[in-house]
Amino acid sequence: MQDLVEILILPLIGAGTITAFKGIMPRRLPGIWASFLVAVSFVLSVAADRRLGQLAAHHRVITGVLWNWVTGFGPTIHWRLYFDPLSAVWLLIITGVGALIHIYSIGYMHDDPGEGRFFAYLNFFIFSMLLLVLAGNLAILLIGWALVGLASYFLIGFWYERPSAVAAAKKAFVMNTLGDVGILLGLALLYVHYHGIGYAHLFRIFDTARPGSAFFEWSAFLLYLGAMAKSAQFPLHMWLADAMEGPTPVSALIHAATMVTAGVYLMTRLYPLLRLAPFTHQLIGAIGAFTAIFAASIAFFQQDIKKVLAYSTLSQLGYMFLAVGVGAYTAGVFHFMTHAFFKATLFLAAGSVIHALAGEQDLGQMGGLWRKMPWTMASFLAATLAIAGIPPFAGYFSKEAILGQAYNSGHLVLWAVGVLTAGMTSYYMFRLFFLTFFGKPRNAKLYDHAHEAPLVMTIPVVILGVFSVIGGFFGSWLNGWLSPAFHQYLGASTAPLEHGPVFGTVVTVGLAVIAFFVAYWLFVARGIQPQAGTTRAPGLWMLKAWGMDAAWTAVAVNPLKWLGDAMLAVERAILAGVVGLADGIQAWASDLAPIQTGYVRRYALSIMVGVVALLAYYLIRIGFIS
Amino acid sequence: MFLVWLLAVPLAGAIVTLWAPAKGAKGVAAITSFVALLGYVGLLFVNRAGVNWPWIAAWGVRFHLQADGLGLFLLGLNAVLFVVAILASSEDMGRIYYFWLLVLEFAVAGLFAAVDLFVFYVFWEVLLVPVFFLLTQWSGARGRTAALKWLIMNLVGSFFMLVGIVAVAVIHHQNGGAFTFEIAALSGMAIPAGIATWLFFAFLVAFWIKAPLWPLHGWMPDTYGESPAPVTALISGVLSKAGIYGILRVMMPIFLPQFRQFQLLLLILAAIGLLYGALAALRQTDMKMVTAYGSLSHMAMMALGIFSLTEAGILGTTYYMVAHGLMVGGLFIVLGLLESRTGTRTIQDMAGLNQSAPRLAAYFLFFVLGTLGLPGLPGFVGEYMIIQGLIQSQVVFAVIAGFVLVVAAWYMLRVFQAVMQGPARSSAIRDLLARQVAWLVPLAGLVVFIGIWPAGITSHAVPSLYHVMHFASQGGGR
Repeated sequence: MQDLVEILILPLIGAGTITAFKGIMPRRLPGIWASFLVAVSFVLSVAADRRLGQLAAHHRVITGVLWNWVTGFGPTIHWRLYFDPLSAVWLLIITGVGALIHIYSIGYMHDDPGEGRFFAYLNFFIFSMLLLVLAGNLAILLIGWALVGLASYFLIGFWYERPSAVAAAKKAFVMNTLGDVGILLGLALLYVHYHGIGYAHLFRIFDTARPGSAFFEWSAFLLYLGAMAKSAQFPLHMWLADAMEGPTPVSALIHAATMVTAGVYLMTRLYPLLRLAPFTHQLIGAIGAFTAIFAASIAFFQQDIKKVLAYSTLSQLGYMFLAVGVGAYTAGVFHFMTHAFFKATLFLAAGSVIHALAGEQDLGQMGGLWRKMPWTMASFLAATLAIAGIPPFAGYFSKEAILGQAYNSGHLVLWAVGVLTAGMTSYYMFRLFFLTFFGKPRNAKLYDHAHEAPLVMTIPVVILGVFSVIGGFFGSWLNGWLSPAFHQYLGASTAPLEHGPVFGTVVTVGLAVIAFFVAYWLFVARGIQPQAGTTRAPGLWMLKAWGMDAAWTAVAVNPLKWLGDAMLAVERAILAGVVGLADGIQAWASDLAPIQTGYVRRYALSIMVGVVALLAYYLIRIGFIS
Repeated sequence: MFLVWLLAVPLAGAIVTLWAPAKGAKGVAAITSFVALLGYVGLLFVNRAGVNWPWIAAWGVRFHLQADGLGLFLLGLNAVLFVVAILASSEDMGRIYYFWLLVLEFAVAGLFAAVDLFVFYVFWEVLLVPVFFLLTQWSGARGRTAALKWLIMNLVGSFFMLVGIVAVAVIHHQNGGAFTFEIAALSGMAIPAGIATWLFFAFLVAFWIKAPLWPLHGWMPDTYGESPAPVTALISGVLSKAGIYGILRVMMPIFLPQFRQFQLLLLILAAIGLLYGALAALRQTDMKMVTAYGSLSHMAMMALGIFSLTEAGILGTTYYMVAHGLMVGGLFIVLGLLESRTGTRTIQDMAGLNQSAPRLAAYFLFFVLGTLGLPGLPGFVGEYMIIQGLIQSQVVFAVIAGFVLVVAAWYMLRVFQAVMQGPARSSAIRDLLARQVAWLVPLAGLVVFIGIWPAGITSHAVPSLYHVMHFASQGGGR
């Protein structure tokens, strides 16, 4: 327990000290201090994991109460921590990848006046995310859940003088509040029925329950709603594309590697509940698959390097939910891990490119950068091969595990969608890669000034790039590590990694390779411009993300505004009524008042009313007593 | 005796203020309120004994004050918020302003401590007076209209309540009991069915107006709009709680059958108010009005918690009253600091003020986040418990409440972002002064503290809520 608290509290100390002292800290210090604290958290996390591993396989849970939260009658809820193999995986990625991204940010943010503020937010995020995965009940989880959302809000709107960043931050916050409310309702529902919301408490009860009642479906669905918003599942996904307004390290850490996977964490954590809610469980897989292919299609024609990566994140999150939906929990966690490696690499490498091009994100201004930035290019390539699912890079293994299990469990439609999406992923990622690093430079001036990033940025990118290459080999370790957690309660019989049919692998990899060549042929051999095909359907629709923003505006935003206007109209009527009443009484009072100067009139009025009241009092008293 | 201290110190301070030098009045008032706050600390940690003195023997009225779990933390809210409001007031207000503020503190403290209905009523009436004068003398152009609306609507409510109070005492006497106004004695009394409904609504109207709850909130926009920020903070932070508190303290023990009978109607009315306030807040362009209508919505949330007639809901409301008071009080004061710098409250006239006033923006955001119910801050705790209560009794209202939380995030952030972020269009303003930060920090710290450790309040509130609840738990919820 002690070590968990230390892991948790260190980044919070960082956020606090930087906020309090950033005015008097030397310029580089906030970044170094913040990175140092997260690195220490990482070391402590490794130690904590080792200690957890030394416990007997089926007792790998460390849980304890720090303090009471709400007591009395009604709910009794504690500040409870819960540390098991599942939280351990998240703990390692959050602090490990988090530390690397912190270090990278020292370089990336070095000339930004808000550097201190940035690192305070980043440390606050790490704390919140750790709280989320270490929480021992759903209420504490929800606190972490909302605080990561707040950190995300701060960092999306980091450059608050940009109207687009401010709007994006608000959209992210409001959409995530919708998800928070889902969790709030879901956990309250569970509390009402089971008088507790601790994981162990609930799961023990779930083990004896029969699946399929509406109650389980509702509670699972409400909790899924939270996961949906946080992990940007269709139709609550638009905020994530807009979230790219934040600085690129933020996109890497929060909007790719960690925070957006909180939904996967929650759903995996709640596997005993999903057993009881078969409909919701199926729905999760279906929406996941749809999100995967839907977002992949949007990525085809994007013009902005970060937008492509954002939609690819959406698509990969879809895969993770697909895994959850078919019961392939280990595969889902595995994909979370490899995705954290390769997507962080991609974003950080993209950040180096943006940094080198003085903030330019438009693919139309890039091209040929491999000569200038070989290390960045190499890391980006490794990660692109990984996300495209080319063996033996990391993404291949985790994606194979998901698709194989989708096939084995008979979810053939989901499987087919996943396979198709794998091909599409390979296409748009290589399109991005070629447009950025190959072909002729499309903006000679920017190209001339481009340069490889400083070491403080390049080294973390290369480390993550290496993990994108070798990350797939952690699969069997992960399988062994997580299996005790998935054996603890009913509902995860299909959790361990499986192999799919060989022809499935052949088709998936084959599609990816074909897509690679198509992208090569189009964007290198023929030298097609990134804008090509975006002026008419269907490219235009894809570029515009299928109009989902407009749909939300029409369905939810505008009607609420109209309702608000209607309320204001009603309000005017009510207030007019009050004014009429007041005028009437005032007129009546002034007629009666002998002296018309302000104070006396009002006194008279008060006295009048008082007398009336007293009179009524006696009347009633007499009336009742006699 | 600390309880008497809480009443006596503000009253004595008020009188001293009248003879203070004009520039020193604020100092006297600040010291007074601080001494009262010390008294509250004593009350909390040393001795909570009340007083029970004979007063009007002929009517069975006793001056009976008591600090139990229901009022204990509202007394604290009162003590804390008055310190902040006085410190946030300008020195130029003059000694009469501070006199009325301290009288108000006295009256509210009495209200939250009274357990005799007659005493309750006396304090209920007394607190109208200082607010009336604060509105007429130190408010905006329409302050007099606001004052008149405040007085008339509240007097109408008080009148109904007075009728109710007397009738309840008389009926209790006719039933064979002693002639008394002691709430504990009147609890669970039998009231003839026909008249019970009338009396129930007579009390309810008074509390409904004071909170205010939709649709009896007619006095609210002008009063909130015209009063100086510290007074707005006190009205919305402390006085509005008197309405909700009254329902719990006075009505629950006496009228539980009526609450059960009319539960659905009450829930519907509160839910309408909840939605109404939130949607109206969404479209306001005056930042103070956004907060005012947001507060209207939050008052309805508290009412929903009570009307759920469940333990979770009622405990949630008890806690939320304190939490909301601190947060909305803080928010109105921050808005006042902002208005005093920009000279406007229209959000379109401001933008990007964060750049010149980052500290002001930070506190603004803090109270915005608290008010919109961010988990981790206390608003969330209250809302969670209330929603749990609603799920227990009528789940559809839980869904409505959940929906309103989303709208709340929208309208609160809308104001913050419009004023503080984006490109700086308006001219630079001065950031918070060190002495302003000095009292905002403890207030914010207190908010964080009760958010992290709500049990500090909820566990203490329970013993006296049992008194309210042992009737309700016999089948109020499912």
